[in-house]
Amino acid sequence: MRQAALALVLLALVALPPLAEPYILHVAIVVLINVVYAEGLYVIMRMGYLSFGHAGYIALGAYTSALLSTELGVSVWLGFPAGGLVAALFAWALGAVTLKLRGIYFSLSVFAFAEVVSAAFRAFDVFGGPAGIAGVPRPMFLGTRLNTHLGFYYVVLVTALVSLVFLYRLGATRFGFTLLSLRTRHTEILAESVGIDAARYKTLAFVISCFFCGLMGAVHGHYLRFVSPFVFTFFLSTDLVIYNMVGGLGSFWGPLVGSVLLTALGEQLFAAGYYKSLVYAVVLLVVILALPGGLIQITRAREMGAARRLGWGKAPVTTAER
Amino acid sequence: MTRRWPLALFAAAVLVAGLVPAAPAHAQKAFKMGVIVPVSGPAAAFGLGCQRGLEFAAEDAGVFTVGNEKYKVEVVTYDTVYDPGKTVAALNRAVYNDGVKYGIIIGAGVHPPILPIIRETGFLDLAFAAAGRQLTNAENPTVFRIMASSDQLYRTHLVPIIEKLNVKRIATLGPNDELGKNDAKVVRAQVAALKGKGVQFVGEEYYERGAKDFGPALLRLIVQKPDLIETDGSPTGSIALIAKQARELGFQGYFLNSTAVLEAKAISDIAGKAGDKIIALRIWAKPPTPLYTQLAERHQKKYGEAAPGTLWEAYAAARWVVNVIQKTGTFDTKKVADALGQSTFAEHPFGPASWGGEKNYGAKRQIVLPIPASILKDGKWEAFDVRPGKFE
Amino acid sequence: MDPYLHLLLQGLAIGVLTGILYVLVALGLTLIYGILHIVNFAHGEIYMLGAMGVFYLQVVAGLPFAVTLVLIVVGSLLLGAVVERAFFRSLRGQWLQLVVASVGISLVIQSVAWIAFGIQEKNVPSYLPGIVEVLGVRLPRERLLAAGVGLVLVAVLYLLVYRTKAGLAMRAIEEDEETARMLGVNADRVATLSVALGFVLAALAGAFVAPIYSLNPGMGLEPILMSFIIIIVGGLGSITGTVLAGLLVGVLQSVGAVMFGAEAAYGLVFVAMIAILVLRPAGLLGRV
Repeated sequence: MRQAALALVLLALVALPPLAEPYILHVAIVVLINVVYAEGLYVIMRMGYLSFGHAGYIALGAYTSALLSTELGVSVWLGFPAGGLVAALFAWALGAVTLKLRGIYFSLSVFAFAEVVSAAFRAFDVFGGPAGIAGVPRPMFLGTRLNTHLGFYYVVLVTALVSLVFLYRLGATRFGFTLLSLRTRHTEILAESVGIDAARYKTLAFVISCFFCGLMGAVHGHYLRFVSPFVFTFFLSTDLVIYNMVGGLGSFWGPLVGSVLLTALGEQLFAAGYYKSLVYAVVLLVVILALPGGLIQITRAREMGAARRLGWGKAPVTTAER
Repeated sequence: MTRRWPLALFAAAVLVAGLVPAAPAHAQKAFKMGVIVPVSGPAAAFGLGCQRGLEFAAEDAGVFTVGNEKYKVEVVTYDTVYDPGKTVAALNRAVYNDGVKYGIIIGAGVHPPILPIIRETGFLDLAFAAAGRQLTNAENPTVFRIMASSDQLYRTHLVPIIEKLNVKRIATLGPNDELGKNDAKVVRAQVAALKGKGVQFVGEEYYERGAKDFGPALLRLIVQKPDLIETDGSPTGSIALIAKQARELGFQGYFLNSTAVLEAKAISDIAGKAGDKIIALRIWAKPPTPLYTQLAERHQKKYGEAAPGTLWEAYAAARWVVNVIQKTGTFDTKKVADALGQSTFAEHPFGPASWGGEKNYGAKRQIVLPIPASILKDGKWEAFDVRPGKFE
Repeated sequence: MDPYLHLLLQGLAIGVLTGILYVLVALGLTLIYGILHIVNFAHGEIYMLGAMGVFYLQVVAGLPFAVTLVLIVVGSLLLGAVVERAFFRSLRGQWLQLVVASVGISLVIQSVAWIAFGIQEKNVPSYLPGIVEVLGVRLPRERLLAAGVGLVLVAVLYLLVYRTKAGLAMRAIEEDEETARMLGVNADRVATLSVALGFVLAALAGAFVAPIYSLNPGMGLEPILMSFIIIIVGGLGSITGTVLAGLLVGVLQSVGAVMFGAEAAYGLVFVAMIAILVLRPAGLLGRV
């Protein structure tokens, strides 16, 4: 049943766009980008690490690719993975230091890093300074530059699908399950006691998370044909956290559902500015109080009902203690 | 758990509502003009001024004929919160979904990603943005700057002001962004031209946009003993705080500003006596035309507060464009852009307006109109008359 | 006096005063985190509401200052109690949910504030205008007042936590909640009290800092950032640590800006924070 539904969605994503008008394609592109960002963040959130600084890694990916293509004339196709690699590199370097910290300390240190990145991009003219870098080119494909919405949509779609498939399968590997065991300090100690090198797993997870965020950040930059410190802000980081929380941390589909629905909702509230923030926040609070497992908990209604009747306690596998 | 389900379903319903395909905004004989501006958040004053100015213009333009049909201006608002990504989304929606081909767009920082879309679709952009040549140039024939840009103003007004005040040491303090850095560059260049008369540029400092404590930056400048601190790119609240804190640190000289949506009362509330000796460009101490006063009073009556500085320029731009559309008899943005660039507009609230910028920008897309200078004394603006240079 | 020495002294003076302001703002956050280990992201918005409260009650409605203060204290007390019962109580122990919930609350308050308070910047006239000059260093009186209030509140908080029975209960809950409950401490009431007091401290900070800067609905963002940095650097849960860190950050920022420029100083503070976290993950005086 689920296979059929997925196949249908996939078919729609591939076959319908030539019929769609440019605005719909724009929304689709933004949704796909946000989904990958959210799923990238999910890798470390299910490990119990809350990051308010992912925009920093996204920015690193975006700027890398932008600079490579505008300053050095490197092909955009190479720029994408380069962006992912640079973000991953910084994640690896920072991870060694920050992953030792737990809870709010970690969150704030990642946030601090993102602010330093942003400040660095603003300060130096080689990065375009506060004005950023304009004229970031679209990739070339079979001789034409993909300047139309439709053309670039397929680029985004392919990148997103590849990333999501990888991230989905990651959760099902032994590596993925081991990450779950690192969710709190206590379980981490437990894991270490059976020989799991927690630091290595955490670092690898962080690197993977930031790689995909950097990769998609590069795609994002080439979509806008522009990068600047004001595109990748703290508000973006917060939005990603909200997508994860609203969707639910219990499964891969949670952040996906969260980001699709909230991004689409955001586009509807186009005239509304701060009303949109208000709606996001209210939805977030309602979900946290009423549905601690996020929206995907609704699909688990039958399981939840059974668990409750059997007296198995409250919320599903979503919490991460301090 | 059972009691929580209604709440949860509500949340889910709200979210699903987000997936409903967007209904285009109205589809009758409306001539849609968009305002793609921040109407909420820190820059809301600029955006709301444009929105309201456009609405007044729509009222005053009334029903007009193009070809054989009658049209009325319909204002469509898109809130960008001054974010580049949201501006891209807004323009996409406006152009592709809502059929909007004309509009006011605010912000130098948000223009770069939308310029390609503007070029591809021919959207006629009445830009309320600084960034001089990067925006208005020969490659963007449908982009018109409807405000006096700060670099333009520094080229025309800075030297006369320095000469009138007879000051010698100039410094700048601006926000650490595109606008601040660009303005500092222009000021430097203008001051360099006055080197022969003993005028020097003695310091340039930046602050993070949104900062409230300018003490340290001011200290670095004050130690150089400037006579005039140019504060461009700074919003009203910041200027007032800069003035207040500078006086606390012992600075007695002048301040200069040209972009803030300045209102005398706001400054004197925050800065008190410290606000004296602020010289502002684009602030009218005395209304230049009856239309100016009429619009100000209309705004006060309708909204209960003073009109933000962008009101008049937005109003004028809209009326001007509708005029040109009527004369050319078409809505084709390329044709209208050509005609607009050659035309003049006598009924601008500031005075007769035309387009310039051929020499400095490579295209006649910069509005040229009377720009005043005023100085704050005892909480009131007084005219500060100077003879501005010519902007080409 | 040598102008550069004077510059440095002036920078130092500003730094110390600003540092104490930061401490004043951070106190409420320290209390709530110290006792309940809840990271209250809405802290900056309560600060903003305190400042707005002074504007609307004193400037617009014309109430005397004392009445305004009382109303603000009562209002924030109630708001804190409500937030604790409605949100924090049911999420106790779920760190992630708590943090994100407080972010949500902060967004709600901020959005409503932008919608409600309108576009023009508002201002509260100075309580004590003028400056005091000491050894050639100029100190604005209203900042001295706010700093004074800050020091008083630090003392009050200290006395509360370490010299009263309520404080003892708070410390007991922080140390080991289960045992404290078993020994008869009403943990729920302590939690409500702690949050309510934390909100009061935030609102009072807003009320006294209000005349120094201008007011707008987004004014809570920067203080909360600074507050977090300070309590992390100082060590979560330590009042003395907060004070030390506040002064350190204030002076670093100010003197750093005077010597290297404001942008560099801004980055410097972040770098310093990361460095301290690496060397002493629990903060300067933190336990845990």
